[in-house]
This record gives sequence, C-alpha cells and structure tokens, in this order.
Amino acid sequence: MKLLTPALLTLLCACSLTQHAASAAPAAAPVKGWLAWRGPNQNGTSAEKGLPSAIDPKKPLWTAEFPGQSAPVIANGKLYIMGYLGEGAELQEGVRCFDAETGKMLWEKRYTDFLSDTIYLRYATSSPTVDPETGNVYTLGTQGMLNAFTADGKELWSYSMMEQFGRLTFPNSRTATPLIDGDLVIVRGVTSNWGNQGAAGDRMYAFDKKTGELVWACWSGERPRDNSFSHPVLTWFKGKRVLITATGDGNVFCANARTGEAIWRVPLFKAGINSTAVVHNNDKVIAIFGTPYEPGQMVCMKIPQVEPTNPTNAPVVVERQAVELWHTPEISTSTSHPILVGDRVYVVAEKGDLCCVDVNNGKILWRVKLGIEQRNAGLVHADGKLYVPMLDDPASKGSGEGDAGTTGAFYIIEPSDKEGKILSHVPLEGRCFGTPAVYNGKIYMQTTKKLYCFGKAGNNPGLPPEPVAEKWPAPGKATQLQIIPSEVLLKPNQAASFHIRSLDANGFVVQENLDPKTLKWVGYIPPTAKVRASMKGAFNANGQLVAGPDVVPSAGAFEGTLGDMHGYIRGRVLPGLPIKENFEGFDISVVHETEEGVKFAYPPLPWIGPRFKFEVREAGDTKALVKAIDNKFFQRATVFMGEPSLKNYTVQTDVMSEGKPRKMSEVGQINQRYLIVLRGNAQEIEVNSNQERLKVSVPFKWKANEWMTLKSRVDIKPDGSGVVRAKAWKRGEPEPAEWTIEVPHKIAHQNGCPGLYGFAPQEMRVFIDNVSVTAN
Amino acid sequence: MKHLSLLTAALLAAGLVSHAQDWSQWGGSQYRNMYSPAKGLPDRFEPGKLLKGSENHDPATQKNVKFTVKLGSQSYGNPTIANGRIYVGTNNDVPRDKRHLGDRSILLCLDEKTGALNWQLVVSKLKSGKVNDWESLGLFSSAVIEGNRLYVVTTRCEILCLDVEGMANGNDGPYKDEAKYVVQDVLGADGKQAPPIPPTPKDADIIWRYDMMDELGVFPHNASNCSILIIGDVLYVSTSNGQDWTHVNVPSPLSPSLVAVNKKTGELLGEDDAKIGSRLFHGQWSSPSTGKVNGKDLIFFGGGEGFCYAFDATPKKEPDGSFLKTVWKYDANPPEYKAKDGKPIKYPAAEGPSEIIATPVFWKNRIYVATGQDPEHGEGVGHLVCLDATKTGDITKTGVIWSFKGINRSISTVSIDPATGLLFIGDFSGFVYCLDSETGKLHWKHDMKAHMWGSTMVADGKVYVGDEDGDFVVLAAKGGPKAEVLSECNLGAPVYSTPVIANGVIYIASNSHLFGLHDSVKAKAVKP
Repeated sequence: MKLLTPALLTLLCACSLTQHAASAAPAAAPVKGWLAWRGPNQNGTSAEKGLPSAIDPKKPLWTAEFPGQSAPVIANGKLYIMGYLGEGAELQEGVRCFDAETGKMLWEKRYTDFLSDTIYLRYATSSPTVDPETGNVYTLGTQGMLNAFTADGKELWSYSMMEQFGRLTFPNSRTATPLIDGDLVIVRGVTSNWGNQGAAGDRMYAFDKKTGELVWACWSGERPRDNSFSHPVLTWFKGKRVLITATGDGNVFCANARTGEAIWRVPLFKAGINSTAVVHNNDKVIAIFGTPYEPGQMVCMKIPQVEPTNPTNAPVVVERQAVELWHTPEISTSTSHPILVGDRVYVVAEKGDLCCVDVNNGKILWRVKLGIEQRNAGLVHADGKLYVPMLDDPASKGSGEGDAGTTGAFYIIEPSDKEGKILSHVPLEGRCFGTPAVYNGKIYMQTTKKLYCFGKAGNNPGLPPEPVAEKWPAPGKATQLQIIPSEVLLKPNQAASFHIRSLDANGFVVQENLDPKTLKWVGYIPPTAKVRASMKGAFNANGQLVAGPDVVPSAGAFEGTLGDMHGYIRGRVLPGLPIKENFEGFDISVVHETEEGVKFAYPPLPWIGPRFKFEVREAGDTKALVKAIDNKFFQRATVFMGEPSLKNYTVQTDVMSEGKPRKMSEVGQINQRYLIVLRGNAQEIEVNSNQERLKVSVPFKWKANEWMTLKSRVDIKPDGSGVVRAKAWKRGEPEPAEWTIEVPHKIAHQNGCPGLYGFAPQEMRVFIDNVSVTAN
Repeated sequence: MKHLSLLTAALLAAGLVSHAQDWSQWGGSQYRNMYSPAKGLPDRFEPGKLLKGSENHDPATQKNVKFTVKLGSQSYGNPTIANGRIYVGTNNDVPRDKRHLGDRSILLCLDEKTGALNWQLVVSKLKSGKVNDWESLGLFSSAVIEGNRLYVVTTRCEILCLDVEGMANGNDGPYKDEAKYVVQDVLGADGKQAPPIPPTPKDADIIWRYDMMDELGVFPHNASNCSILIIGDVLYVSTSNGQDWTHVNVPSPLSPSLVAVNKKTGELLGEDDAKIGSRLFHGQWSSPSTGKVNGKDLIFFGGGEGFCYAFDATPKKEPDGSFLKTVWKYDANPPEYKAKDGKPIKYPAAEGPSEIIATPVFWKNRIYVATGQDPEHGEGVGHLVCLDATKTGDITKTGVIWSFKGINRSISTVSIDPATGLLFIGDFSGFVYCLDSETGKLHWKHDMKAHMWGSTMVADGKVYVGDEDGDFVVLAAKGGPKAEVLSECNLGAPVYSTPVIANGVIYIASNSHLFGLHDSVKAKAVKP
C-alpha cells in the first residue's frame, strides 16, 4: 500500500475495529531495545551497566557507509536509522535496518527528495521510532514522507505530509522524530493546510499507528518563527495524558495527547525553540533556547496548573514570570538537546561547553569546553558516564591544511558534582550532528560520513530489564466523542466509514465502536471560520459520509452528536482527474484588508495551502488566481490540488507576471512532484524538484504583463526512469509542436499531486488561470 | 577634525596620546587595513561586573574602561567615530524610544565623551523575514562620515545619507518622510499599518534614500551589510544581492553586486560589469576598498562567487548602461577546492570553494584578502592571498605574490602593522595568524578556542581581538614561533565586531555593550 487513497481509507475504517479495542492502553512490551532516540525514560538516560569507558575509532565493531544526522534505535536485535545515499538528482534518503550485532544490512527503504527546501546534504535529521507493542517502525523524512513499516520492512501505510497536510520544508531541514503513545503515532511540522489549519503553524498530527487514520491535529495557535524538532515528552497532568514540548513559535506547549486539545503555553523566546525540553519530577519543565547568534537561556518552570475554560481549543497563555523557578543566562543552545539524570541537567551549550546544572536551583556545577560549536546533537547518560558527540573535533583541526569542518569528536565523560572528567576523546570521520544510542554494551553513532558501532561484541549482562508499561487510569464518565478518521478526502459519490469512540473528560476511551448509525450528523461551520463553506455530501442511514455527485470541489466539517456528546470531522471532496478551474464561478466580494478598494474571493477551500498565498481576483476581463504579495512569508507559494497517488497526467495553465526592468516574478505548475517554472528575471524555463537535487533550465524569452500558456507532462519508463517535458507559448497563439524543455530523471517520481506555484520576491504579482489537469 | 573631545585634547596636550585621530569609516581609511597609528594604548582591561539587576557595569569593578554603553542584544555594526560622535549598529532589544518597540535595526549616534545618546536611526524590518532581513540581527553597516553627512546601508537594502546632527537642527531634505519611514511594514495592534511616528530631536534626519531592492531589483540574502566607500563625490556600495530561500536560485541574477552612487543626490552612476549575480554561491557581502594604482583609482571587491575584483572607479557609459569596468579579477578558490578526483566539490562542503566576505585590504600596491562563508555554514578550508594590484586581466595565474592555505574559512579583514610588515588575521575556526606580509611566511598561530567573526586590530605593538565566547584578547604584535598573550578578559557576551581606535580610545562592541577602553591612569593624570 503506497499511500492511503480514500477507498483504502474506507476499507481500513471498516476493518480496524478490533485493533482499536486492543490499543487503548499498551500491553506489556514484547519488544526489547532502545526504541526511541531519547530512550525509555524520554530523557536520554539508560539503566544499563557495564558500558565502555573508551572507544578506539580505528577498531569499531562495525561501520556502515550510511551518513546522516540521525540517532539509531534498536529493537529485538535490529538497528534502525535514517540516512542518505547517492549524489545529485539520484540522492535518496530513507531508513535502513541493520543487524545491531554484526552491522549486516537487513532491509532499506529510500525515497528521492522532491520539492523540498532541504539544502547542503542536511538529510536524515530525524530518527526512526519503534512501537513497543508491535515492533513496527515509524519514520518521517525531511521531505515529509511519513512511513510505517513492520520490523521486516513491509510498508503498512504512508503519507506525503507536504502534499496532504501542506507541511512546509526549510533550508535548515530539521525534522521531528515520530512519537508513539499507546495507539497513536504523533508527528509535527510547520503546516499550511486547509480551512482553519490554513495559517502557518507548528502543528502536531496524531495517527492511529496501525491504520494510519488521522485521529487529531493541534497547535499552539501562534505564528511560527522557525520549524522545530523539539521532541515532545509524554507525561501526566491533572489526570490527563499530555505531551509537553517546546515549539517553533517560541513557546513551551502542553496538549492532551489523547485528543489534541491545547491546554497551556508559556511564551519564552522571540525565535523558535528546537531544543527538547525535559520534565523533572512531573512538576517542572526545563527548556533551553537561543539562536546561534544571540545567547538565550535555560529556564526552569513549574508546570502551570491551568486548563482552558472555553471550547475554542486555544491554550491558556501563562506568562513566564508566573511559573519561573530559575533561569541561567549562561547556558544557551539553538538546537542541541539536554538530558536529565536525577537532579542534574547535562547539555552541550551552543559554543561547545558541556554543562552540568542542578535542577533544584539552576546552579551551574561545572562546565567543560569540548569544542567551539554544537548543532542538533544530543547526548546519552548510562553506567555513570556521558556519551557526547561534538560537531567538530577541536584536536583535529589546525594541524595542517584542509582539515576544518570534516572531523567530529566523541567524548566519554564521567560526571560528578565537581567536574566532568574526560575518560575518552576521539575523532570520528565526518561531523557529528546526530545523537548516539548506547545499548547492549555498544555505542552507535552516525556522522556525516558513516555509521559507527563500538563496544563489546555479544550480549551485555548489564542490560537492564525492560521497562514496565505505565498503567493508565480507568476512564470516567463519557463526555465526548472521538471520530476516526477525523478528516476524509472523498471523490464524488464515494463513502467514508468512521470508527467512533466515547471518551471521558480527560480523553480516555470509555467505549469503542459506537454504532455510527446512532449518531446525529449535521454540517458544522466553526464560529471562527472566514470561509463559511460546507462539504457537498451527507451521512447515510449506515452512518457513512457519502460525497455528493457534483464534480465540484468542496470542503467543510460535520458534527456528530450522541446524547449530549459531540465529535467533529472535516471532509473534502475533490473530483480527481480531470481538474478544470477557470475561477469564473467565484464571487469576488471580500474587501481586502491591506489594499484599499480591492476585492477578492478566497481560493478553493479543498486545495492544500492556497489560503494566505493566493486570492481570486479580477484580472482584466477574466478572473484569475493571483499571488498575494502582502504576506511575504509566503513569497514562495505552493498549492496542491489533488492527492499524491495521481500520475500520468498533463497540466496546463495560463500564467502571467507583472513586471518592470529587473523585476519579474516566477510562476509555475507542479506535475508529479516536479516543479515546472517560468523564471522572469532569469528569462528561463526550468524543471526542478528540490533545487539542489534536480534543476535544469533553458533560456526562454517571455514578457511581463503578457499571458503565457504553460504545459507539462511526465512520462515514466518501465525501468523507473522518466522524462519531464514542458513547453510554454504566448496565450492565444498555436501550441508549438516541440517541447521547450525535456529533462530526464534516472530515479523518477512515479506519482504526485498536481499543483500550482508562484514566487513573487519583488512584489510583482503572479496570475494563474484556466487550470487544467487531464489524464494522459 | 573639528570637535576633539576635551579629554583627548588634554591627552594630546600632555603628549600622552601621540596620534589622536578619528575613525570615520570601516577600516579607518579607504584602504581598510585594520591598523591604527595610536600609541600609549593599554594592554589589559577589566570590563567589570554588572550591577545587580542592571545592565550597567559597576565602575568600581572596571579597569581601563572609559565607559560602557548598553546596546541591544545583537551588535554587528562596527563603531565609527568622527567629530565627537560615535556611531554603532545594533538591534532594538533595549528600546531607546518607547514609541519604537519590537524588532528594528538601530544606528546609535552617541556622544564621544560620555556615551550619551545624541540620536538614533530606526529601521523597521522587511516583511519577508529571514530570507531578506533575518530577525534581530540589527544594523550591520559601519557608517562612513564625511563632514556633516553620514552614509550607511540599512537592513532594508537601502543606501541612506543622514545628517550627523540628526533632527536636532531640523528636518533637512530633500527626504522629509521620516515619520513614515520608521513604520514601513510595521503593523499596529489592530493588524493594520501603524500610523506615522513624527521624529523628535533624538531621531535621525534622512537627507536622501536609495532603495536598492526597488531601483535595482536586488534580492538581498539574509542581511544587507555593506560599509560604504567614498571617493570624491561617489559612493561605492555592495548590494548584498543573493539567493532565495532555496539557496540555489538567485531570483535577481541580473542585478548588480556593486554600484556607484552620487553622494550628494543618491543618483545611480554605474554598476559593476562582472555579472556576478548568476554565479553567486550564497550572497554578496564583501565591502569595497580602494587604492590608486598606476594613477587610476581602483575599487577592490570580494565577489560572492569567490573572485576578487579590481574595477575602474570611473563609470563608463555604454549603450545598455553605465559600468564599472573590470581591470583585473582573481579566482580565490584554488583548483583543489573546486574538484577532487575529477568530481566537483559542492558548495558549501568543508573542503570546497568559498566566497569572499572579508574586505580586501590595499597596502603597498597589493591586495590582501581571505575566503570564507556565512558562519551558518560552519568551518572549512580557507585561502589567504596577497595579490599584485598593478596587474590587469585575469590574474589568477599571474597576480599572486603569495598564497596561504593554512588558514580556515575567514570573514575577517587583515591587519598589517606598517612598523614591522607583520600581518594578522583571524579565521572562523578560531585561530589568529601572524604572517610576514612580504612573503606569506607563518610566524605563529594562536587558538582563541571560539569562532571569530570580527577582525584583528593592530596598534601600538599590540593586536586586539575578540571572539564569539566574548573573550577580548591582547596579543603582542610581534613575530616568532609562538604568540604572546598579554591579557585576556571576557566582555560577557559574544563579540562579532572589530575593535577600533579613535582619539586614544579603543572601542569594542560585544553583542550587548559598547566598551570604550583607555588607560585610566594616564587619563586621570591629565585631568585638571
């Protein structure tokens, strides 16, 4: 199963009932290992004894040519890690499974990057996570591919978060690692999705870990300043299962992990926070923030004892002063992760100092300089020792020419309250951005050159017993409904079935498998909605949602009611191919907020990502989709109009850019994960898909303020290679017989969602009209 | 020099400061050599401790500190000092004017004697954020002052001509829209355009404004930073044109990297003919220098694609525009930085090619400059070269007097001590090097154990240098096998700027404070 098509989704809903019943609370874990990058205690500590005090980089147990910035996880003797291989347009990122003892590769799944803003080989920045119940493996790639695999590498389900949820990518490429809680796998990213998720936000999405159905989405409500790979900590708050995490909007944020309900947030920083927060004694949170250029702080706060009183799902904002216990301006990091060992926090600060801090008073007990900069990496504590990777090895540079920036360092340090005693310090080939795993007598560390395994062969007698699964509280009285999936995408006449459970006030399941037929369903428009739209469809007697027969896109929400309990879902109808949109049916009546005298219509609601990026406006004697220029955060804007399983189609659009000398915009279309773009200032037509991976252009003269027609298709050969073809001509003139550009791609994208693109870096508007996507 | 401070005058009278002088532009002169002829400078300091609960230092804990001035939270704008005023760029984390709250770039004009505020320039942020105008970085450009005019590049990619008196002597034109200028792209509490804020005597007076984004189509990458060069009536300005968010695409490849502008009117006079735009590795951030070679003024310029250029300073009219013609160019990336085993090394790999961010220094008909990259890209190989500025054409093979590959990536500008011919330079890996400027022979290198962004300053037999850990180090400006550390102190915040010396006072900006350092005992001795 490559991707969840609506049909499969319906099928899954129907067949997954017993799984839901079994997964409300995790059973005793049959899967042994170091299943998540932060370890079983979620804080980078291990109870294992008998671990190495020194390593010899010349004598690893094994190595593998699998570079990256990931942290390995180990389950039942298998090691899983993200990495990348290949060069140029053939580079692929993915997950590999090795025999943890021998380094023998058991399986791999790799994916070609597409349309992302990842640069400079910043691949494999997240880590796989293993489900303690099933041993299944979950990965999120930098391009937004969320995949679930069995331990043998069989794909269970997958999403393209970019095309299906509007997940944005960033040049820093930091990608959050999936988190598992009971029956859910939770991922995060900055998305610009549809409807009330249209504004950019650092959002979390929870999926049923077995079926892939979306269960909830949530965010702090704040505008993101950065993406964040801060890893949420699961804990308990007022009887609720919650996650606490730092966010890309500069907050520490708490949400109900069962429902996605936002509970509170504490604003801490003017930029995003990437460092993972730690929770001490379940009553305080320690967060660290900063930028590479401006030192921040380490802050310890009481966990705020507040809950929202209104139903808007906005968290209670708690000012830092109300909860702060202490802070230290001497410790700052933009991306490195602290660990918590008893009452001590250890972190490698921004400028390379390993610091030991007393949680009770913020006193820095000691600091030792291990390098001059740290990025992204975390450390691990086990057997009384700290295992610490460093970005660059201070000892390896300065000895000759050409050695800076190519060698990382690995330290083993014995911490006490007086000092951090260096037991071992070795260089490793490649820089260290990742976090080590320490398990079964071995130390695993990935660098930008390779994956290393050091330590003792065979089983370590010092391995601790597996942690006992937490016992969850018995649910109280049912007060609300949870309808799964919480979002559907349907074709006309297609039906979706739902799995419905009742939850208590804290979000715990009271009863699974409520009969959908017993619910009362009505269309629902959230009170805050600006686009007051409804999905064309209705619930039938079997409690299924059936899309209407119209081949017109639509979107909206429904409320299901049973007694005094309510639950909500969102739905979209997209007709599939052909897609035809000339925008003439739009009522241009919304008064523009920043441009006087201008009216517009909101762009099609069921598309992913157009809101805040595009508006439908009058353009001469026609109506067209116009790139908005007032929201400059979206000066580059991508819109997806279907779903990612589509393939073998032709996209044709009329396009235009405003302009004056040296100022023209770029306008294009997306065909099967390739961007075909007319570049104004460069006077080129270009095909790209992640511009560092694949970028081919040819000179092409086109003028500002003149409509052009742009057309593209992608043809795939049996060997998996393909050719992207595109042509452009002045609108109204005969279509040229020849393609303007033909770009071969050895490992071609086999499918992908059609889309539109505009880039207005100099406030020159882009116009798109007469959109047509037809099957070849 | 019209307005010597009383103290400086007194010192001069006492013969304790032999070379009292201003520092009115980046590098002190148009040659940009990070050197000052000042004498009698101290070699150790105690920057002092902050008073509890305050951002002010306790004078009782300081030694050889004339004053400290609170800046914002990030300060890259190297100070310049002219006619009794200090100019320094910072951000608005500690607002001086409660009407301007939030992220702004700030140019402070301070009284040279007391550090008190005369006026400030407030520059709002571009709406596009990081890609064009990274948050919180503050003003980068080191202002150049000539008479009653000051020229600076803002983080909105503009060239501004300001009145050094600020608004205190009224709003001089032709530009009179200061009230609107300060709220460009600023939204009020209602989410709509904020209303104009009328200037007070404590605000900057803009004489003219040239918007390089609007006029030239420039797409600045992350930050516009040029420190402007003046020759006669002409300003030479780097545009900071660069890539977009993708770090591959240059949205405005045909926009110039260097322009010449009339200093009286802001009228464009010409642009470089090198068409660097389409070849940029990342952005265009080097500031120009100049020197007279074979009777001709040349503009020396570090290209964002790793070439060093000499342009004829006189624009030449051609059918499609007016151009600064290339006199020579030099590819600063040796072949082994560009390809290994026949395969190109991709930017920004540590072992690969770099651009030039440092300022080329002109000295004795030679150009000294090193290659480097945006600190975001980390450490990697660098290349320091000494070029013969009298050559013409492509001088990659013919113009090298010496080359030093032992340096790592560097964004620091060199210091050459005329007394000894010793050259000092820092690199981003944290090493300070001492070389013979004639031969390129390495004397010593000193590990600062922290990234270095700023440059060294050589004066009075000493090398003053700061680093990202906030350490401020004084080294002996002499050769030999090993550096001699005269003193080391910590300024309490990262140092991204270069120490400068004016009228016997050393100015060094940390992220958060501007320190004026001098010899307290000598200063006290000459007080009445």
